[in-house]
Amino acid sequence: MSSLRYTVRCLRDIRPTPRPQWHPPAAAATTATATTALPYRPRIHQTARTLSTTASRPADLNNDITKEPPPGWNEFQGAVAATDADADADAGSYPDSSSSSSSSSSSNFGALEAASAVAATPFARAVPVSPSYFSRKPIFNDSYVVVQDLARKYARLPVLPRDKVAPTAWRTKEQYRLAIGEHVKGRDYAECMKLVKRLNQIHPDLMPAEVLAGLAPFKREVNFYLNKPKVLPIDRFGRSHAVGKRKSSIAQAWVVEGTGEVLVNGKPLSDAFGRIHDRESAVWALKSTERIDKYNVWAKVQGGGTTGQAEALTLAIAKALCVHEPALKNPLRRAGCITRDPRKVERKKHGHVKARKMPTWVKR
Amino acid sequence: MIIREFGVRQGRKALAASLRQGPACLRQLSSLSSETSGTPVAVADPVLQSTLKTSPEAKKTPSLFMQTAKPARKRPVAPDTTKQDWEDAQALRKSMRGVGTTVQPVYSPNDVFRNPPGPKDVTLELLMASQAHMGHHTSVWNPANARYIHGIRQGIHIISLEETAAHLRRAARVVEEVAYRGGLILFVGTRPGQTQIVTQSARLADACHLFTKWTPGTITNSDKILPGLPMKIVDQHDNELEGFDQHLMERRALVPDLVVCLNPLENFVMLHECGLANIPTIGVIDTNTEPTWVTYAIPANDDSLRCLAVIGSVLGRAGEAGNKRRLQDAQKGVVAWETPQAISTWTKIHGKRAEWAARAAREAAEEQAAREAALSGEEPLEKEGEGEVETEGRFRRGQNFRERRPPRASDDS
Repeated sequence: MSSLRYTVRCLRDIRPTPRPQWHPPAAAATTATATTALPYRPRIHQTARTLSTTASRPADLNNDITKEPPPGWNEFQGAVAATDADADADAGSYPDSSSSSSSSSSSNFGALEAASAVAATPFARAVPVSPSYFSRKPIFNDSYVVVQDLARKYARLPVLPRDKVAPTAWRTKEQYRLAIGEHVKGRDYAECMKLVKRLNQIHPDLMPAEVLAGLAPFKREVNFYLNKPKVLPIDRFGRSHAVGKRKSSIAQAWVVEGTGEVLVNGKPLSDAFGRIHDRESAVWALKSTERIDKYNVWAKVQGGGTTGQAEALTLAIAKALCVHEPALKNPLRRAGCITRDPRKVERKKHGHVKARKMPTWVKR
Repeated sequence: MIIREFGVRQGRKALAASLRQGPACLRQLSSLSSETSGTPVAVADPVLQSTLKTSPEAKKTPSLFMQTAKPARKRPVAPDTTKQDWEDAQALRKSMRGVGTTVQPVYSPNDVFRNPPGPKDVTLELLMASQAHMGHHTSVWNPANARYIHGIRQGIHIISLEETAAHLRRAARVVEEVAYRGGLILFVGTRPGQTQIVTQSARLADACHLFTKWTPGTITNSDKILPGLPMKIVDQHDNELEGFDQHLMERRALVPDLVVCLNPLENFVMLHECGLANIPTIGVIDTNTEPTWVTYAIPANDDSLRCLAVIGSVLGRAGEAGNKRRLQDAQKGVVAWETPQAISTWTKIHGKRAEWAARAAREAAEEQAAREAALSGEEPLEKEGEGEVETEGRFRRGQNFRERRPPRASDDS
């Protein structure tokens, strides 16, 4: 099998060269737009590099190519030869093109200018942009080298203890891969991030600008640690407003200092909820903190059943109560009033009777 | 579902604790009192109930829990003088530098990176100091290295430093000439700790480096391994050239013109690919390595980072000298390299395409001008006879066609 693969690789470069398909300009170039998009693809140079594994081209293949030249091929060859002569004599300047480009359309103009610029340079070679070209991950490896150099250079600057460093949102391995488009190995990324985090510990007063620049590729665009929760206001009537949800119910509650009156959808609590348990649930935020006689609540609830509505109210009232007394947040959290219960009705699946229930099945 | 028992038991304690620590409570500012407790408080815990009952006077006060609340004790914050201390320490160190005895030059591992030695600095002392002569245990030797080996001491082979220096100078010449001819050099060192060495050499010689695993096929299967990695086209002054975008899109990946390998033992695949593609290689050959794997061997200790740093910086400096000489000669108009065939072919074809496009555009413009002239000349003819009108009509129909053939002799009749 390996020998077969080897043979295939050797054969790679001795396929007959695709012939250039050239259309004579008099026929093809009727309009200015048609001239810019000639159906020509130069592919000859693709076999320019020869490995020593390449066998020499068989004679019959060569004959096959030269047997019947396509229409226009001879013109093409002549033209290429003429260009060679031009390039030797006068670095490939095109008096025709320069004279006519001024009169032709603008789309032609740019192409011709570029062409003459290309032709005017007798020396050109290709070099990689990044020195890490052969590592397949040039962007990451360049950043890694920069980070290593910085870590070496600034190893002696005073650092903060780890818990005093301002929290920074770093890119995870997957986010970094997505951002730069290279499949960076987890081990390499972890090694790199060790140095990055060490550099980030440098005391902020002494942090050099180049370190910040070197760490930038590993930071997320948005530092979510800087996010601030929205502050709910108390309006001019002394009300605080909050929304709570549970199952498919949505509750809005306006809480104001008062004497313990509660209206849910315009009805007193006992009318709104038939079950004692639900009544207690609805005002549990006030009851657990012993505030039931100090606030009035006016609430709207919609959607869902009684349990959902009652517990949506719990959340809404707790949030609104926190606006009046922020110090109550922890007690309310311990009482189970702050956290949104994310559970919803599970969807039914095909092949099941309900979400998970399977049809009865007996073997024979 | 709310766990009420938990809330009752824990809620009040937590409330009291948190309020004691917490900031000023908004409720404290309220004018309302808690005396009007209209609704009974459901307390499931009998202990709590008893405490509530036994302390009625505490319940009457407007802020029940704020009674025990104390303002948070403020610790005096010491100003952060880290920056000042650091600057003072630096200043002190600077001022104390001249004080005391004169210290003789001592070895510092960073010297080779701060002041990299070049090919001219290669001496036997330097090589000896950097432990280039230490081979492997005699049992693991490769007999092909016999000519590089000076002798045996304490069970290990000692590499002859005359050979090392001579081969290192020869390799430096090779690197310099390849750099002078505009070749692409690749420094490879894939063992841990060699990163700094290869990156520094590549930085000096304006070359490529590799400090991670060599992907097998990077040379022999480069169309699949290195597609679309960024390249640029430069001229003899190393200025980037514009207008080659299409060429860069469709050209094949680059292959190095010279490979310098610091650890050939781990990179056999790469050296083999270089052999297949006729790429010369330079390798540091220890006494246990096969010297025929590389084109230009440098017999030296490949397990010492100190030795490899010296070798790498010598070769890097050689490449730097070659590049410098190349750019200086280019200023004078001497260029020792030719445009690669791929680029020259593409340039030729591109130039031809542009020329033909220009010719077509010029012809179209001339034809347009001729037609306009004919139209303006023929307008009076339109009224003369029926036959003339027919010709004119045919001409107008032809105007809409894409084909614009020049007028023939048959049209005149």
